[in-house]
Amino acid sequence: MAVPAAELRSKVVASRGGAAGLRHVLGPDYRMGYIFVAPIALCVLSLVAYPFCYAIYLSMTHKLVGMPPIFVGFENYIRLTWDGFFQRAVVNSFVFTFGSVIFKLGLGVLMALVLTSNIRWRSFWTGVLLIPWVAPTVVSALNFLWMFDGSLGVLNYLLVRVFRILPQGVGWLSEPGTAMASVVAVNVWRGFPFFGISFLAGMKAIPAELYEAAAVDGASKLQRFRHVTLPGIKNIMIIVVLLSTIWTFNDFQIVYILTKGGPGGTTMVMPVFTYETAFGAQRLGEAIAVALYLLPALAVTIMVLARYMRKGRRR
Amino acid sequence: MDRRIRQLAEQLEAHQISRREFMRRTAVITGGTAVGLSVLGKMAEAQGPKLRVWLFKSFVTDSNEILARQVEAWGKERKVQVEMDWATFGDREQKFVAAIEAGNPPDIGEMNYLGPSRYRPALRDVSALSKDIANARGGLLPHAERYVVLGGQHVAVARQSWPGGFFIRKDLLDAKGIKPPKLYDPDVVEMAKKTQDPSKDLWGLGQTLNRSDDGNGYMQHILWAYGGSTWDKDGKPALGTTFLKQNMEALQFSVDTIQKYKIQPPGVMSWTDVHNNEAYLAGKLVSTNNGASLYYAMVSKKHPLAEHTQVILTPGGPAGSFSGPSCYSWGIFKTSKQVELCEDLIRWVEDEKRFEEYMQASIGQAGPVYKKRAENPYWKSDPNFQGMLQNVLRGTWPGYPGPITPAAIEVQAQYILCDMAGRVVVGGLSPEAALKEAHKRVEDIYRIRSRG
Repeated sequence: MAVPAAELRSKVVASRGGAAGLRHVLGPDYRMGYIFVAPIALCVLSLVAYPFCYAIYLSMTHKLVGMPPIFVGFENYIRLTWDGFFQRAVVNSFVFTFGSVIFKLGLGVLMALVLTSNIRWRSFWTGVLLIPWVAPTVVSALNFLWMFDGSLGVLNYLLVRVFRILPQGVGWLSEPGTAMASVVAVNVWRGFPFFGISFLAGMKAIPAELYEAAAVDGASKLQRFRHVTLPGIKNIMIIVVLLSTIWTFNDFQIVYILTKGGPGGTTMVMPVFTYETAFGAQRLGEAIAVALYLLPALAVTIMVLARYMRKGRRR
Repeated sequence: MDRRIRQLAEQLEAHQISRREFMRRTAVITGGTAVGLSVLGKMAEAQGPKLRVWLFKSFVTDSNEILARQVEAWGKERKVQVEMDWATFGDREQKFVAAIEAGNPPDIGEMNYLGPSRYRPALRDVSALSKDIANARGGLLPHAERYVVLGGQHVAVARQSWPGGFFIRKDLLDAKGIKPPKLYDPDVVEMAKKTQDPSKDLWGLGQTLNRSDDGNGYMQHILWAYGGSTWDKDGKPALGTTFLKQNMEALQFSVDTIQKYKIQPPGVMSWTDVHNNEAYLAGKLVSTNNGASLYYAMVSKKHPLAEHTQVILTPGGPAGSFSGPSCYSWGIFKTSKQVELCEDLIRWVEDEKRFEEYMQASIGQAGPVYKKRAENPYWKSDPNFQGMLQNVLRGTWPGYPGPITPAAIEVQAQYILCDMAGRVVVGGLSPEAALKEAHKRVEDIYRIRSRG
């Protein structure tokens, strides 16, 4: 019966004593290994582990700027749980995130399908469609801020003056419905090319024979899309949705530049709420508690999705 | 990566040198570089003391440049290396918070009205210097004293107030035979209704209630104008208790300007601090509340609306007319090892001749914080300066009629009053419910801040 390598190594180490065993398994200059690994281990500990643990500690303190932290246990988390503005920020974050991701997913698939079909100047169109993704978010958001302006914005100018569709301009960022729709629209505009380009790569990897075989079997275009294309890009789709969900949930720039969470908190999302608590209220402990509040829920979501992806791969 | 280390790495990869040799030579190069840098640092120190100065970049660019030149001139005169940096409206809080928490604030910083109270634990007591400068200038104006003197200690040296005013299109009012308004209700409402023309996108009033400095300033002074306030005389929350009736009337009026009287443009609830300036300059507003920077923008750029604009006192309500002018000040941080130089720099830029040069370029923005500066003939050189000056002289502060407290400052910084109005206008809440909700937030802040 074959003995697994790891088991064999451990037996050897045990039989020869600590140092000698390690030397035998890892090589004569194994101590050098520790020296080489030490810098990166130190970096990870000091730049990731320590700040993260310190953040957890600070979230359990009453910490004001320039003052030492006072430990208050879970008080910040408990107060946040019952805070109406925080609750609305949580709901808004989910509306903003899932509203954006759903539209990005749809538009991304559409973009990939268009770019895999026989169109002229495909490379040119690919480049054009990537512009929103390439442009700096701050620049895009500021442009949209001007476009959405109720009095001077180009959107109202077109709708009221040029096409005369509306009798009076719309306050795009000043009404609860249109404000959230506007920030979602900007996020979708900015993010869908990432979906599209990823799906495009996935679609190009699907063997043409599968489509030919499906066509021979009499499958319609829709059926080919459903039974060949979608399964072919399923794994990419999961990864892209997962990444985009995390990014969108943490998106700060678009909402902050367009509305600062207003009007009346209707577009207040978690990152902006964190920022306002940290730099507006200058309550650093509570701000970190806001940032960490949904971390367990997000971690569980990511773990579930990751497990699902691994299962799919095994199959 | 250092060129020499890269060469060594290539040699190691090509098995030309051993790992041990690689480690040895790398250590020699790294150590040599560290020693070299240390020597260079000491040489730089020998060139003279260094001072980190943070200035505030306002929209009044001419004054910014003058102040920067004055600081540079001081550095040359005193042979001090000045490391100057700017904070802006968008990043001032972040910069100060990050620097203080990192234990690395500048030696001296120009702070806005929130600064002395917010950064008090990190600021040095400058009572002697502040009193000295104030006494030579007739003493501090009451509102400025409230901002910089906390607990009997001067934590900053006052520099200037940014006056606000009510900007009106005099040409449009004259055409309709309307006098400048004194009260919000009914004067401003009637003026707005008679002069506006929505079909031409011309609106009677442009006053956002959104989360912004403009919204904050308005919400605060409209409560005072109706006899209300967020705080009572002892600095305790009074939004939904002591002054409930007055605050309710003020909130109702503010909401009515949008919903009932329809004298505000669509989208006004999404405005930030620049939107009313842009709309006014584009000729789309008959009136708006703003700081003097709007007047500076018109005059310095020879905008055609400059001659048709009149800046008047902020309109009032049943309890009178109120204004909360900003107060900028110099703070010296406790971590500074160059306190004497910091004090010398403050004396230099606050020298009356230098301040006069700065003030002249500001076109009304550099309002007085000292009594003698309010008497400067400059304030009579333009009829529009009178409204601005009077707003400064009657200026109140966050927390009024009580003291400035950290809780009052936080209520401002968190836009609680703007959110209150926003919850009615776009959130669909009744004014009563919005007031109750805001009062609870104010009480929470008071409770948290009372811990110290």
